[in-house]
Amino acid sequence: MARRRVKSETSAGTGELTLVEAVQRALARAMEEDETVILLGEDIGVDGGVFRATDGLIARFGADRVRDTPLAEALIGGLPVGLAAMGFRPVAEIQFMGFIYPVLDQIVNHAARLRNRTRGRLSCPMVLRAPYGGGIHAPEHHSESMEAMFAHIPGLRVVIPSSPAKAYGLLLAAIRDPDPVIFLEPKRVYRATREAVVDEGSALPLDRCFTVRDGADVTLVSWGAMLKETLEAAEMLAGDGVEAEVLDVATLKPLDMETILESVRKTGRCIIVHEAPLTGGFGAEIAARLAGEGLMHLVAPVERVAGWDTVMPLLRLEGQYMPSPQRIVAAVRRVLEYA
Amino acid sequence: MAEVFKLPDLGEGLQEAEIVAWHVGVGDHVVTDQPLVSVETDKAVVEVPAPHSGRIAALHGEPGDVLAVGAPLVEFAAGAAADKGAIVGKVAAAEEKAPKPDKAPARDKAKAAPAVRRLAAQLGVDLAAVTATGPGGTVTKADVERAAGEVAVAEPLRGVRRAMFHNMTRAGRDIVPATVTDEADIESWPDKTDVTIRLIRAIAAACKASPALNAWFDADTLTRRVHERIELGIAVETEDGLFAPVMHDIGNRDADDLRRGIEAMKKDIAARAIPPEQLVGQTITLSNFGMFGGRFADLVVVPPQVAILGAGRAEMRIVAVDGAPAAHKLLPLSLSFDHRVVTGVEAARFLNAVIEDLEKAE
Amino acid sequence: MSTVATFEIRHDRILGPDGKLEGEAPPFARDRDKLVALYRWMVLTRAFDAKAVALQRTGRLGTFASSIGQEAVNIGVADAMAPEDVLLPSFREHGAQLVRGVTMRELLVYWGGDERGSDFAGPREDFPVCIPVGTHAPHAAGVALAFKLRNEARVAVCIFGDGATSRGDVYEAMNVAGVWALPVVFISNNNQWAISVPRKAQTAAETLAQKAIAAGFEGRQVDGNDIVAVRQATAEALDKARRGGGPTLIEALTYRLGDHTTVDDASRYRDDEEVGRRWKEEPIARLRTHLAAAHGWGKAEEEALIAACAAEVEEATEAYLTTEPEPPEAMFDHMYEELPAELVRQRAALLGQE
Repeated sequence: MARRRVKSETSAGTGELTLVEAVQRALARAMEEDETVILLGEDIGVDGGVFRATDGLIARFGADRVRDTPLAEALIGGLPVGLAAMGFRPVAEIQFMGFIYPVLDQIVNHAARLRNRTRGRLSCPMVLRAPYGGGIHAPEHHSESMEAMFAHIPGLRVVIPSSPAKAYGLLLAAIRDPDPVIFLEPKRVYRATREAVVDEGSALPLDRCFTVRDGADVTLVSWGAMLKETLEAAEMLAGDGVEAEVLDVATLKPLDMETILESVRKTGRCIIVHEAPLTGGFGAEIAARLAGEGLMHLVAPVERVAGWDTVMPLLRLEGQYMPSPQRIVAAVRRVLEYA
Repeated sequence: MAEVFKLPDLGEGLQEAEIVAWHVGVGDHVVTDQPLVSVETDKAVVEVPAPHSGRIAALHGEPGDVLAVGAPLVEFAAGAAADKGAIVGKVAAAEEKAPKPDKAPARDKAKAAPAVRRLAAQLGVDLAAVTATGPGGTVTKADVERAAGEVAVAEPLRGVRRAMFHNMTRAGRDIVPATVTDEADIESWPDKTDVTIRLIRAIAAACKASPALNAWFDADTLTRRVHERIELGIAVETEDGLFAPVMHDIGNRDADDLRRGIEAMKKDIAARAIPPEQLVGQTITLSNFGMFGGRFADLVVVPPQVAILGAGRAEMRIVAVDGAPAAHKLLPLSLSFDHRVVTGVEAARFLNAVIEDLEKAE
Repeated sequence: MSTVATFEIRHDRILGPDGKLEGEAPPFARDRDKLVALYRWMVLTRAFDAKAVALQRTGRLGTFASSIGQEAVNIGVADAMAPEDVLLPSFREHGAQLVRGVTMRELLVYWGGDERGSDFAGPREDFPVCIPVGTHAPHAAGVALAFKLRNEARVAVCIFGDGATSRGDVYEAMNVAGVWALPVVFISNNNQWAISVPRKAQTAAETLAQKAIAAGFEGRQVDGNDIVAVRQATAEALDKARRGGGPTLIEALTYRLGDHTTVDDASRYRDDEEVGRRWKEEPIARLRTHLAAAHGWGKAEEEALIAACAAEVEEATEAYLTTEPEPPEAMFDHMYEELPAELVRQRAALLGQE
């Protein structure tokens, strides 16, 4: 029998948690308060998930509610549609972004439109969780950031937490939401930081951008793992007397454009930072909205600092792919020239 | 009046169909769903049935003719049941309700961002006449302001001054302020008494006497936290603006310790290097504004706090001592509080306790 | 060498093409009233189908998939179900939906291009039609899991065609149903054609039923033009599922006598001769022959039944044709339980209120 570390379980209280622990706490909290919450996925049971996001939950809630599925992603996308239509709140896990594509059929054709196509008779309150993004030296097909694909689908909510506390509050909100939510977890952040998380069942709003740093000179918009580089860039800029306001989009769909516009009205400059490839990335949507609704407040071009339009490189080059604080700072320097 | 049955779209987006064979003739009486004609579309040969019963008045087209979708196919004699109308294939377009734009205005050749153009328009500056200093010859806001001859270039509020803006705006919006004033007789104080230290100790004593003023109030949840620990904000004015670094746990520190804390704080302020953790968490605030002038003031309570004590400039005043006039040094005190959560009695009790402590011998 | 597994696929036929009962017939097969009721559903379905095609040909209905020739599968399956079971149809199960309580007006409203047609007043938990072939099979597994988790004696019934059995998600759904012993019955309406691709080009397997063997549960085949066999096999599978015995796959052998849909022309890829031969096996004539021979079903009754069905279809058609379309903002109003701000804005823009 393999050695297993068993983590202590507390039902409530405050503690410093990693993001993956915060996900586990939110799942446990949701299962505790609502017995229709069912977890499904590959290796989520005894193994506790490949990232241990469901660690200990099978022992606590039983194999009926923490279900290891066969290795079948279309099923993991489609089975929750049936469960949800019958009044359950399934939370399905896909192990890596690269394995999520068979699920798209179910999400696009069914989960996202069941409520509409039955005029509200049936609905689909499911959550699809998946880790995304690079930076942990994973094998091929494990490191992509394909959030824009989901953000393009009408009928969904697309949520990406950037920190343990956000992961906890947003995941609870996603599970309680009456419509399907794609919940993409920045796996680079899973264990990178700890943060105080109050495990008392408080959800965060699913329609709000969060201002994580106040500033008057330039607005930096980002989400998920890229908040780290973005905040580092803001810190570097502060050393030179440049105050960058940093926004964590958190919920890409529906997008809280008002908070972004409010910030840009103040700063007149905006840089959008994302790990996903540049072309057709979600930054394009924000830039287009700024051009439409924020143009009169812009003093400089909107720039995007994003992944290159390349296939996500294997691990030896992935550091060259990911936007760095230096690239963000360079972009800020360019837009600051419009004094 | 004859009623016309038009060729429907028989597939998905088909435009026309060729008549293959008629199955009825003029004058025939047909019944609903009876085959009228076979037509060949790009995709299939299909039979078109009668949409309703009636007598055929006319057939349009011969075998081999190609009819466009929507063209008349069969006319029924008068008296036939009215066609319910084709409901599929005709997509009602959403109405375009936008007003027609005027002719596009002529554009000047200057390169300037929309926000800069707006500023130029506001200031009556001709962009073409502005010396452009921005990247690639773009006109910047500063260029426009210079051209407008403005002495002062508008600049964003920064740092402490911006924080002051936010805090004061919030306070002004949220708080229901009330102020009670009085004076402490400090004639008995020896020379060089540190006023700030005495005030800090007096506040600690007053918080024990009237704990409701050392509290946070959350208007969103209508909850109040009365604190045991006193985290005293000390309002400091600098050129950059107003802020209030925290003296931690003043109820449990002796005078020397407090003095050391104040010295450290002064150094930090001078160096603009106050640690961030010392800028948050105030449970009540002291403003020693008398150092700069003024005796009494309505002070601004910064949420979530509910009270702020201000000390004005101490002056010699004539007071009655045992029924006889005497000149004593008096310290004017103003206590502003959030009347939504603090009662007048609680405030008065607090102020009395401050005075009682200040008037004690050292 | 040793053999580790063998399998055989049972085929059932109770009512033969000549209208005679063969072998052991279940009690309902001797019940005239029951047989007449089943017969009436099949006749009504065919009348509905013909009317729907005519409505499309006269520009008053969208693309429609006729179920002509497959009425026994539709009616036999749905009639065996309990009201509290859940049907997950593909797009050629009008008859099954009618038996379940979906109205002809609702079906026409849907195929006429109006989502309200899937807001059934009757079977509130039945799924709407599934157009992307076979993608509803995982939903059936989910519905069945819901029943199992709640210890409800209910069964999910999922109908798909022969082509769907080539799809991965149908297998993924059957596979999990086997592993978890879910209360689900899969029906493959094997009408021999997936648009233009014949059954033999779809899979090299001798039967579709045997695909269940790979998923670890019973697969069986019935004559899909024999409503008695279809109903009986379905009833047995439902009973097994209700008792915790897990899933069953029933392959019902039938034939698509019509085009794939109203935008298809089957003469491009199959012989009239084949279709003519298959007309001799069609299910309605088979049961009529039996009713006439065994239960004295006469011309008067037949004519009265056909007239009644035609009237019912006409009434539904009238109700459909006089159904006003939804206001345009309806496309927004069911996207989310609570409409996000951006969609509120777009909705107003559509209405010219911006």
